[in-house]
Amino acid sequence: MNNNRTQVKICPDTLVIGGGIAGIQAALEIANGNLNVFLVEKTGTIGGHMAMFDKTFPTLDCAACILTPKMVEVGQHSNIELLTYCEVMDVKGQPGNFKVTILKKAKRVNVETCIGCGTCAEKCPKNVPSEFDAFTTLRKAIYIPFPQAVPNKYLIDADYCIYVENGKCGACVKACLVQDCINLDEKDEEIEITVGNIIVATGFKTFDASRVSQFGYGKFPNVLTSLEFERLVNAAGPTEGNIKFRSQDKKGNWVFSNDSEEPERIAIIHCVGSRDENYHKYCSKVCCMYSLKLAHLVKEKLPDADVSEYYIDMRAFGKGYEEFYQRIEEEGVNIIRGKTAKIEQRNGNLLIRSEDIENARLIERDVDMVILSVGIEPGENAAELSKMLGISTDNDGWFSSPDHLLDPVATGSEGITIAGVCEGPKDIPDTVVQASAAASRVLQRILTGVSSQ
Amino acid sequence: MQRVNSDLTKDLKKFGVQEWNECFHCGNCTAICPLTEQGSLFPRQAIRQIQLGLKDSLYRNLDPWMCYYCGECTETCPRDANPAELMMSLRRYLTSIYDWTGMSRRFYTSNYWEFGAVGAIAALIIALFVVFLPPAAEMFNNPQAFINDQGGVMINSMVAGVGEARFIRLIELGDWAMAVVVAFFLITNIFNMYYKVILKDKTLKVPIIIYITEFWSLIYNFTTQAKFSKCEKKTYWGGHLLLMTGYSIMFALVVAFLPLFQTETVFPWYHWQRILGYYSTFGILFFLAYVVIGRIQRSDFKFEFSHSTDWLFIIMLGLTTITGILVHIFRVTGLPVATYITYIIHLAILFPMILIEVPFSKWSHLAYRPFAIYFFRLKKAVVAKQYETKLAPAA
Repeated sequence: MNNNRTQVKICPDTLVIGGGIAGIQAALEIANGNLNVFLVEKTGTIGGHMAMFDKTFPTLDCAACILTPKMVEVGQHSNIELLTYCEVMDVKGQPGNFKVTILKKAKRVNVETCIGCGTCAEKCPKNVPSEFDAFTTLRKAIYIPFPQAVPNKYLIDADYCIYVENGKCGACVKACLVQDCINLDEKDEEIEITVGNIIVATGFKTFDASRVSQFGYGKFPNVLTSLEFERLVNAAGPTEGNIKFRSQDKKGNWVFSNDSEEPERIAIIHCVGSRDENYHKYCSKVCCMYSLKLAHLVKEKLPDADVSEYYIDMRAFGKGYEEFYQRIEEEGVNIIRGKTAKIEQRNGNLLIRSEDIENARLIERDVDMVILSVGIEPGENAAELSKMLGISTDNDGWFSSPDHLLDPVATGSEGITIAGVCEGPKDIPDTVVQASAAASRVLQRILTGVSSQ
Repeated sequence: MQRVNSDLTKDLKKFGVQEWNECFHCGNCTAICPLTEQGSLFPRQAIRQIQLGLKDSLYRNLDPWMCYYCGECTETCPRDANPAELMMSLRRYLTSIYDWTGMSRRFYTSNYWEFGAVGAIAALIIALFVVFLPPAAEMFNNPQAFINDQGGVMINSMVAGVGEARFIRLIELGDWAMAVVVAFFLITNIFNMYYKVILKDKTLKVPIIIYITEFWSLIYNFTTQAKFSKCEKKTYWGGHLLLMTGYSIMFALVVAFLPLFQTETVFPWYHWQRILGYYSTFGILFFLAYVVIGRIQRSDFKFEFSHSTDWLFIIMLGLTTITGILVHIFRVTGLPVATYITYIIHLAILFPMILIEVPFSKWSHLAYRPFAIYFFRLKKAVVAKQYETKLAPAA
């Protein structure tokens, strides 16, 4: 035995950073093993991107239907301490015994006493674009991120609250049915917890489509990102799932509303921001399949719509995926090899210009709506977090394991594991697998009980 | 059937920079290009032909001449394959393919040949002057004798024993000889291009009437460069048009109208002869400055890569223009010796430039571009006709 090595007893509590499907899966795996988990989530609810999706490929399960039971399980689990609207500020200590500082951002609503009735939001005068609906709808400054949010409690967005800004308002306090539930003067606080292991599951953000100027995203109202379309087509979205044009309301804001017409010709453009030296060289892995899924959803809701997809290579790599691709083709979707180069506006239509490579033809055709299948990229705080935790990132900014092939959940730092898309683009099944693998590594360490330094 | 030529890429490398293996055929370049149309899907089709080693297809490919290097394809290429520069390299390559003498290939692939030929022709011009048209000895002793009433140099009387009328005839003769040589090679090369593109294509039978009905496009595109104007960057087209018109006017003045241009009398500045001369000089210098500054600063990626022949062309055109301006200044200010010397230098640069660049090198595009559009339209018209006859009900 090396006498210089000290043995540290591993604290049996675990910290999971990120409350998306990866964090939820990992937290449940450990908590169901009768061990305590702190689940830290930056936003007001767990669920992450998966909660925003309408369906999952290739089985076309309703994403919310399979996710919300897990979210509720997390919320009710006696072994999980759910810390939403919180951020990890600092990590000190050594493997097996990390001291983690967590910022609890002031929700200004008492989570214990709030009954989630929504009376406060009804009276709140401030409208804010809703993050959950990919900014296609409005929410109030006091809000619940979406109806199935966990915890299902209101919180106040200090960035928009009129009272926080100038001390005048308090409409929510007056409306609230529970005494002393809303405290507009509540301050952020910092807490410190001790954990033995950390699982990083911070996910991704979608590529900013306005960077590709030739597609006119942000300029042409009916050029949408795939995430916007996920919300548009969702029954809980801005139009109750009816596919409608984005149009201007009375105040001049661009919104989706049931008063608009239905598009008849929809084009879906793959690889927006992915496989491109100008943006990201890597393949975002999920876009081909979700694009096919979106094409299916259009066909399901608008059977007579003319739906076309423009791709570079069709990457249908997983179980049931190739079959799904063939199914969508049989549904009458025009799947065309050739990257669309530009979108212009012509006589109120969107003109797309593309090469049909397999038929040596130039395509110049008018469509009504374009969906940009945006790629995925590391989250905003990924670089900061990698420094704080001492874990390495690859050239693209994804967290990386020293042994990507045989130990994909490991990091250079003992006691810290990674799971889900923060490690690299992957779909939901792969994310869940990696989350369970990370949890299993943590369980192994807790069962060993000691960490050698 | 055509054979795959595995040496094609090796050969092409000599004509410029190529990254054709980067291309993964997404079709972005073809679709972003404002000049592509049905049946003319560049640059991707040419890249495919190179990757597959389809030499014959490449020989009859007109696409490189349709491209005016606006560079949008390179800017947006997801693989950094630089398709715009590839088209530029292909234009050099095709120039050497059309040239039956093989000189073009030598000039493009060997600096020794290129510089050697320029040097040899320049030396010949200087030798001809030294031997047959030396300066009159009097010019050094009594320069005043060569000054006319307006205070300018009598440019056609500088040579000993050769009168004004005879001197201008001799120079004119030289110009015509140069023009005939250039025209011979250029026209035969165009015919070679026609043979490779149209005649060799056995699927293509072009009726005489189509040659006639499409002829207007040749003239139209030669004079206006209308296709070029469809590129997004209009300044480049405008500058190029200025160069082209300026150069054409100057060429006409010195070859066809030399006695009217190179006169003993110095006309006032508003005389048509001088106005046209100034316009031409400005047109050439303006575009030249734009290109030189661009290539030095590499302001635009189209200037990032410069083939040695690009520089030689620019330098020769620049020196021709500058010496031309100097001849004008010395002549107008009454400096006979300086006029004589710069006049010879001017011709010693001008002759090799025209003789090498026009039929064998960069300048041949003045003919290949409009002819490529003409041939493309012929092909298109034939295909349209075949389509019509197939669809037409039997009489």
